[in-house]
Amino acid sequence: MAMRELVTGGAACAVPGSSSSSNPLSALANALTGSSSKTRDRIKEIPTSTTTGTEPPFYQDATAEDRLKALPGADFDHSFSRHPTLQSSEFLRNFRTADQNGFADAWEEIHRSGPPPPPALLDHRLPPPQFQPTLEGPPQRVLSNFLHSFVGSSHGGIPFRPAPLPALGLSEGDKQCIRDRSSIMARHFFADKSEDFINAQVNALLSSLDIDGDVQAKGPFAGRFRELEDYWNESQGAPRPGPPQTDGWVAEFSQHRIEHGDPNAWAHSFEQQHGPNSWASEFEQEQRLVSAADQMRGANISNLAAMEQTRMLAHTLAQNNDPKFQNSKFLQFVSKMSRGELIIDDNQVKPAALSSPGDWATEYQQQYTAGPSWVDEYAGNQASSDFCKQDHKFFLTWFCQRIAALSLDLSNKKKKKLSHGPDQWANEFSTEREQSGPVDDQWVNEFSKLHVNDWADEFGRQVGEGAFGESSADNWADAYDEYLNEQVVAKQKSDAPRGVYVFSDMNPYVGHPNPLKEGQELFRKGLLSESVLALEAEVLKNPDNAEGWRLLGIAHAENDDDQQAIAAMMRAHEADPTNLEVLLALGVSHTNELEQAAALKYLYGWLRHHPKYGTLANPELSDSLYYADVARLFNEAAEMSPEDADVHVVLGVLYNLSREYDKAIASFQRALKLKPQDYSLWNKLGATQANSVQSAEAILAYQQALDLKPNYVRAWANMGISYANQGMYEDSIRYYVRALAMNPKADNAWQYLRISLRYGGESKVFLNGLLMRFRSLLFVPLKATNAHGKMRGARDSCIIASGAVAEEYSGWEVGKSCMDY
Amino acid sequence: MATTELKSDAIFELLKRFLETEEGIAVKNKVNLVYQFNIAPKKMGIDEVIYTIDLKKGEVIKGQYEGGKPDATFSLKDEDFIKLSNGKLNPQIAFMRGALKIKGSLSAAQKFTPDIFPKPAKL
Repeated sequence: MAMRELVTGGAACAVPGSSSSSNPLSALANALTGSSSKTRDRIKEIPTSTTTGTEPPFYQDATAEDRLKALPGADFDHSFSRHPTLQSSEFLRNFRTADQNGFADAWEEIHRSGPPPPPALLDHRLPPPQFQPTLEGPPQRVLSNFLHSFVGSSHGGIPFRPAPLPALGLSEGDKQCIRDRSSIMARHFFADKSEDFINAQVNALLSSLDIDGDVQAKGPFAGRFRELEDYWNESQGAPRPGPPQTDGWVAEFSQHRIEHGDPNAWAHSFEQQHGPNSWASEFEQEQRLVSAADQMRGANISNLAAMEQTRMLAHTLAQNNDPKFQNSKFLQFVSKMSRGELIIDDNQVKPAALSSPGDWATEYQQQYTAGPSWVDEYAGNQASSDFCKQDHKFFLTWFCQRIAALSLDLSNKKKKKLSHGPDQWANEFSTEREQSGPVDDQWVNEFSKLHVNDWADEFGRQVGEGAFGESSADNWADAYDEYLNEQVVAKQKSDAPRGVYVFSDMNPYVGHPNPLKEGQELFRKGLLSESVLALEAEVLKNPDNAEGWRLLGIAHAENDDDQQAIAAMMRAHEADPTNLEVLLALGVSHTNELEQAAALKYLYGWLRHHPKYGTLANPELSDSLYYADVARLFNEAAEMSPEDADVHVVLGVLYNLSREYDKAIASFQRALKLKPQDYSLWNKLGATQANSVQSAEAILAYQQALDLKPNYVRAWANMGISYANQGMYEDSIRYYVRALAMNPKADNAWQYLRISLRYGGESKVFLNGLLMRFRSLLFVPLKATNAHGKMRGARDSCIIASGAVAEEYSGWEVGKSCMDY
Repeated sequence: MATTELKSDAIFELLKRFLETEEGIAVKNKVNLVYQFNIAPKKMGIDEVIYTIDLKKGEVIKGQYEGGKPDATFSLKDEDFIKLSNGKLNPQIAFMRGALKIKGSLSAAQKFTPDIFPKPAKL
C-alpha cells in the first residue's frame, strides 16, 4: 500500500470484512510497539509471489514497492486482513480469468485518473482509483520519509522537530486525513506522555506539512468513494467472486463511468452530499426525475412518490452541515434511494446498480408489473387506522432522534465509525432486509408513508426545542446498530435452537487422554471456562457420560450461562434420568430462566426419584403439576427429615418460583446451617435476597460465596446486579467486568454492563480509570471471545465503553480491539 | 399457581418491590408517568394480560389503570418483554420489527426505558 494511503487512510483504509485493517498505520504502530510480534513472524512466512504480481498494468510504478520499503514494518499491513495470500491471489486469479479487455479498459480508466495504487489490490479491498490526481512520484516519497521520521521520533520520545519541506501539493482531503490519522497515531505512540506533549508533536508535524492544526470537519473522508466501495462490497458479498462477478465489476465500473461522465463526477457527488453546493446537482436530478416521470406516463405513481419523498428527505438531510451527519449511512441510503441507485422492489431494497439513469422508466415499468403487491400495500396503508398513525408518528420521531443523535454525539459516533469501517449502511440495510423477511416489511411501509413536509417540520421543531437530552439521543442512536447486531445474533441463534448444546470450536482438550479427569481438576481449581472446554472434550468422546454432562452443566451454571447449563443437564438427564443433582440443577436453571412449568417438573422429579421421599410422590400428579401440590409434598418431606439440607434447598427454589421470597430465604438459611461451606447455597440465598430487594443483605451473602469460591462468575455477576439495582452503577461495572473477564460468554453480564455504562458512564474520569485498570481484564475476554467464536454483544459493549471515553486513549484502544471482531 | 403463568409476572413483581426502595423512588420521581403493558403469552393481541406501571404513585398493578388513561400503552409478547427488560431487546428495534405496539403519548413512550426494570439475580 502506498505510503500516502497508509497515512491518509481514506477510503481504502476502511473496508468491511477487513475491519482489522481499517487503519494500517495503527496496525503498523502495533507492530512497532511490539504488540503483534507473532503477526510479524507470520507475515514473513507469507510468500511474496502474489505481492509482486505478474500483471504489468498493476505495477507500472515500481516505486510503489520502494515506497513500501521506505517504511519499516509497512509490509505488515497485509497481516491485518484475514487471509492476505489467499484472498489476494484469488482476487488476482479472478481478474486474470476475467474478460481481459474489459478489465484492461477499466484499469486504464482508473490509471489515467490517478496515481497507481498497486499493492492495495493485494488486500481484498478496492484501490480508490481516482485518488487525488495531484500527487505523483517524488513528493510522495518526501512525505513518506517525513512521516517515517515522525514515527521514528516515537521510539526515543524526543520532541519532533518541524522541518521545512518542499511544497507537496497535498489536497485538502489529504491534509485532513493526515491530520486525523496523525493525532490518533500520536496517541498510540505517546501513550505514556501527557496530552500536551502529544499535541505538540502533532502540531509540529502538521505545521511542517502546512496543515492547519485545527479540527474542522473531521468527517467526510471515509465516504468519498463510497459508491465505488459499495459496488465493491456488493461483489464481495457475493458467494465468492468468480469470473462472472469480475466481469460484473468491470461492467459496473464502466456503467458507473457512464453515469458520472468523468472523474470530476466524484467531486460532484461528494459535494452533493456534503452541503449547500448540492443545489445544482439536486436540480439536475430533479430534471432527470421529471423526464423519467414523463417516460413512465403514470405507470407507478406510488413508487415515484416514494422516490420523490426520499429525494426530498435526502435534500432536507443534506442541508444539515454537520460532517458527522453528512457521513451517516442513513443519509447515504436515502440519497442513494433518491438517485434511484437503490430501489424498493417487492418490498426489498435492492441496489439498482445495473440500470443506467436513462433506464429508470423501464426499471419502474418492470417493477410495476413485478411487484403489484407493493402498490397494494401502499394503498392499504393509506387506509390505515389511527393506531397505525400513532406507530407511524413514533417511527418518525425515532427517525428524527437518530438524526439528532448523529448530529449531537460527534465523538461517540466517530469511534463507532472507526470500528464500523466505511459507510455501507445501504448495503447492510439491503442484506438485512433480505435476511429478515416479512417481519419488518412494515418498515418499508412506514417509510413510504412518510409525509416529508410534516417530517421536516417536526424535525426542525424538535431540534429547535432542543428536545433531546444527550443521553436519550445516545440511546436512540444506538438503536439501529443494535438492530443490525441483533439480527445477526438472532440468525446465529436460530441455527442453534434452545436446548441444544453448543460446543466451542477450537477446543484444545480434544484428544486429551482423560479429559474428564482434567475437567474435574480444572473445575476444582475454579477455572470454569477451561473446565468447560475439557468437559466438552469428554462428552464429545463419551456422549453418554452423565457425570461429564452434569459437571459441564454445573460449570455453565456457575459461569452464569443457564441456557448452556440447561442444554448440558438435559443430556445428563437423558443419560441418567434419576440423578438427583441433575434434576435439582435443571429445576434451578429453569427457575432462573423464569420457565416455571419446566422448573416445577424437574423439582417434582427430584422428589419422585429420591429414595427417601419418593413414596410421597403421587404418580398421577406428574401430568398436571400444580405448584401448591408440589410445595405441600416438599413441606412433608422437610418434616420427615428436617436435617436434610437438600430438601430445604429444593424448597427454597420452589419458594423462589412462587416468589415467596421470605420463605425461600428461611429455607436457604436453614440449609446453610447444615451445609455452611456450600458456596452455591450462599449465592442462592443472596439471589433470593436480591430478588426480594434486600440488596445490602444479598451482597453479604454473595461475599460469603466468593470467599469460598473466588472464581464464581455467577456470584460476581449477581453482585453487579445488586449494586446496579441500588443505583451504584460504577460499582456494578467493576463486578460485571470481573465476571466477564472470567467468562466472556456471559451474555447477560454484557447486557447489564452496557446498561450500567450508560448510567455510570457519566463520569469520564471514572470510566477512564476503570478501563485503564481493567484493560488487561477487558482484553482477556475480548481475546477469548475471539477465540471461542465471535460474539456481537461483546463487540457492541466495548464499543459503547470506548464511546463513553471517546476522547481518551484507553477507550480508543478498547474500541480498536473491538474492531478486530 | 397455574402453569400458564407469564415469565413477565416475575419481572413486574420485582419492579413492584423495587419501587419501594430508595432507588426505585428516585426512578419514580424521574419518570412520573403511567405506563400500561399488554403482555400476550404467545401471539400479540391474544389473551393479553394487562399490567399498569404507575410511576406517579410508584405502583405496579395487575389490570387496567383506574386513574384515567395511561400515558402510553405498550403491547408485546411475553418472550419479548423478558428480552426488553433485561436489555437484550431495544424498544426502538422492537417497534421497528413490529414486535412492540405503542399507543398514547409519544413523548411518554420515549421516556420509557427498559432500564427501569431491576434485573433478576440468578440462583
